[in-house]
Amino acid sequence: MSEPEGRAAGGQATASQLSAGPDTLGTREQIEAVIEQRLRQRSRRNRRMYLLIRVVSLIIVLAAWQYFGSKATPIVFDPLTRVLGALGDLFRHNGLGSALWYSVWTFAVGYLIGLVAGVVLGMLIGAYRRVEAGVGLYVYALYATPMVAIVPLLSIWLGFGVFTQEVIIALFVLFPCVVSVSYGVRNIDGDLLEVARSLRMGRASLWRHVLLPGTVPYIAAGAAQGVAMGLVGMFIAEIFTQLSGLGNLLETAAQTYHTDEALAVLLVIMALGVILRGLITLVQRRVAPWAK
Amino acid sequence: MPDKAPPGAPAAAPAAPDAADAADAADAAGGRIDCANVYKWFPGGIVLEDVSLTVETGQFVCIVGPSGCGKTTLLRMMAGLAEVDHGQVSIGGAPVTGPNRRVAVVFQHFGLFPWKTVQRNVALPLHLARTPRAEAESRVSDAIRTVGLSGHEHKYPAQLSGGMKQRAGLARALATAPDVLLMDEPFAAVDAQVREVLQEDLLALRARLRQTIVFITHSIDEAITLGDRIIVMGTRPGRIVRDVLVPIEQPRTIAQVRRHPAYAGLREEIWQQLRQSAAEQAGNPVEQAGEA
Repeated sequence: MSEPEGRAAGGQATASQLSAGPDTLGTREQIEAVIEQRLRQRSRRNRRMYLLIRVVSLIIVLAAWQYFGSKATPIVFDPLTRVLGALGDLFRHNGLGSALWYSVWTFAVGYLIGLVAGVVLGMLIGAYRRVEAGVGLYVYALYATPMVAIVPLLSIWLGFGVFTQEVIIALFVLFPCVVSVSYGVRNIDGDLLEVARSLRMGRASLWRHVLLPGTVPYIAAGAAQGVAMGLVGMFIAEIFTQLSGLGNLLETAAQTYHTDEALAVLLVIMALGVILRGLITLVQRRVAPWAK
Repeated sequence: MPDKAPPGAPAAAPAAPDAADAADAADAAGGRIDCANVYKWFPGGIVLEDVSLTVETGQFVCIVGPSGCGKTTLLRMMAGLAEVDHGQVSIGGAPVTGPNRRVAVVFQHFGLFPWKTVQRNVALPLHLARTPRAEAESRVSDAIRTVGLSGHEHKYPAQLSGGMKQRAGLARALATAPDVLLMDEPFAAVDAQVREVLQEDLLALRARLRQTIVFITHSIDEAITLGDRIIVMGTRPGRIVRDVLVPIEQPRTIAQVRRHPAYAGLREEIWQQLRQSAAEQAGNPVEQAGEA
């Protein structure tokens, strides 16, 4: 069977076909290969351009930081070089390494608990009206509540230990996940649900072949937002419980007017956020190659 | 919109397996479709009024009619996707009570799962029916070859053109070797040239298919080109207004159909039947007044 729409889909081919003349027009496979190569080249060029923009913007921002930092009073703001120096000092003498380790570990535990609970709860709320009717109200109420407000209460109930910190982080992660995932399940393409019905899918098959894969992009979105919220939770928990970790380090530095150290800790947090987000994108591409 | 599924139709409802078993028992009648005094009401009013129609095994019937004539609703009833409010729809002698394994649907929106490759989309109904693996594999590759998609097995739907998507949709329907193929405006979402190629291929395929085919379309030309028989439906209420046999022998090509002496007359005859409601839908009050 011929397949003219395959050729039509790559509109770029027309120009080269015309210039090369109809005699040199190859088979459909050859033409497709040429088009594909051209598209690949273009996307590679684009990627290189975006990378360049990113690098240039980073240089400008860092240079501006250096410039304005060196003009400012040290207690208010510091140049990049001094902050990096402070970062090195913190690592060598003031336990930034162990604080980072502690924070990351606490975050990982709290984040995973929040993520798993959020995804499961979000799926159930999204898929079953009865669950939504039963618990939806509380979820939306808590989602609208600034989580900071319940941190003091949590310390009263659970004390000032690591467990409290993990619970706080989990709660910060939970609600954006629930909201995103339940929205995703509810917004599964109705046409696909009809296809599922015509294929006589049972409940288990429906989850496996339709609901779960169809919600992956929303799970990823919830997970990404969960990183941002979870880091906020981590900081609040650490500052509030004064236990240890990055938040505590930042708090100490700021209270003793070591602005360079405070900025150094801030840099570490930002890097952490960027890395975690990248990780999620990586996982998503791996798990869901169809969702670009 | 009577053509659409009623909102909130329970998509998760597991299909009744006994319907298929009943159909299994009635193998003798094969792909015969019986609609007896079928009625359908939607909140807006009556959608189908007293529709009776018998399609013999192996017949290719095109149902043509304006929007809102209930042709898609009729097809969804045959597919077990819409309830029959009054009367009865039977396939192979067994009343339709839900989606049936011996009936396959090709959807206008293709209905491919974006997270599955062509191969996995086509294999899904076999997988759900727990077909032994070796058999399923050979059936899948047969179906993919039949529709001309060899070489595209491992692509995701997003990587396919509209025409190729519908080929994949057709392959999925054929993979289960159903007795009845229900096609709901399958070529409406692709552009005119691609549609013609798909029609040509379906005509060529027709000689090898033993299925009863019900094909819904807006286009009179498409109906004459493809069908052995044309059912013309009218609106308000949706009903059958004409039932004609196409006097053009199978197998045929589009060119043969266009050249056939009966073509122009048949086209005009059906058009006369449809122009009244077409004029109304085009918002042409003069035409309406003239006809009255």
